[in-house]
Amino acid sequence: MHEFSRTSQIVEAVLSEAQKEHAVKVIEVELEIGDLTFLGIEQVRFAYKILTDKTIAKDSKLKIDKIPGRGACEACGYDGPLSYIDDEQFHIIVPTFNCPRCGKPLSISAGRECVIKRIRIRK
Amino acid sequence: MPRTVQSEPGEIFDIELDENLKRANDLIAEENRRQLQAYGVRAIDVMGSVGAGKTSLIEHLARLLKTRYRIAAFKGDLTSKIDSERIESIGIQAVQINTGRECHLDANLVKKALRQLDLKALDLLLIENVGNLICPADFALGSDKRVVVISVTEGPYMVVKHPFIFADADVAVINKIDLARPMDVDTSKLAEDVRKINARTSVVPTNCRTGEGVREVAEALGLKPAQ
Repeated sequence: MHEFSRTSQIVEAVLSEAQKEHAVKVIEVELEIGDLTFLGIEQVRFAYKILTDKTIAKDSKLKIDKIPGRGACEACGYDGPLSYIDDEQFHIIVPTFNCPRCGKPLSISAGRECVIKRIRIRK
Repeated sequence: MPRTVQSEPGEIFDIELDENLKRANDLIAEENRRQLQAYGVRAIDVMGSVGAGKTSLIEHLARLLKTRYRIAAFKGDLTSKIDSERIESIGIQAVQINTGRECHLDANLVKKALRQLDLKALDLLLIENVGNLICPADFALGSDKRVVVISVTEGPYMVVKHPFIFADADVAVINKIDLARPMDVDTSKLAEDVRKINARTSVVPTNCRTGEGVREVAEALGLKPAQ
């Protein structure tokens, strides 16, 4: 939903870091995006391409690691992937924030990330 | 932030950044939370789609609670003061937050709006988010509790189609229950869907035209209405 504004934040941070390091070219940028965010990968790529045009990051490779949702259960100690309700009737796959083992509510431990992990530059 | 630089042939460098882009909003949200807590103000973020009944719920909650709590409301919209005037007409202070184009409130807008209030003279802050079941889920504001308002006129699949908004919801309000029959919507099925997604969320059916169920909403939020 907020791909363009998030991606402009990303590009801004990348370019400022590259400038600090006296880079002549940004070659690659690696992101982590959580499955529970509303950031569509295709739209992020599209915005990235537009926003890096005419910068030293033009044509750089954008690597995106999707981080699956995980949760931790205080009640039974479960710490792992979220489970999904698969409703075949409507072709809807709904995530649940309840523990797959005991049904109690989970606290979300991963899946909400939007992180620039690393950048590769040429000096 | 630790930065490591590794050299590779051809003067190519890898820079570990680990920069979290959601951190900016989360930090301000934490700041808001601390500030509200310091003054003993409880803040409730009311989310829901356009026309679900968020303002009506806030009006009823304010009427029910204003003799026991000193209340203010924030009213998030793209534009206009229509709703904040509605809320002020029942005798509580309202601050209109016009986002212009943004489809959700963020922590910084709430921080700015907090400057308009005398927190010492307040016990309860009701924050009405912009009508939207998607984006507000991604932006913490610093509230204690989050409420999601849906209504039967939005159809029977509102919950399963918007699961992420329920991830942090303490209370889900199913509004307009008087229209469930004409709309042919089963409210118990909607309640069941909420529980399947998040067992932590309490579900309260309401009719925010008459005020039916509003007392139960207050109780589910840990607020004590006057007898």
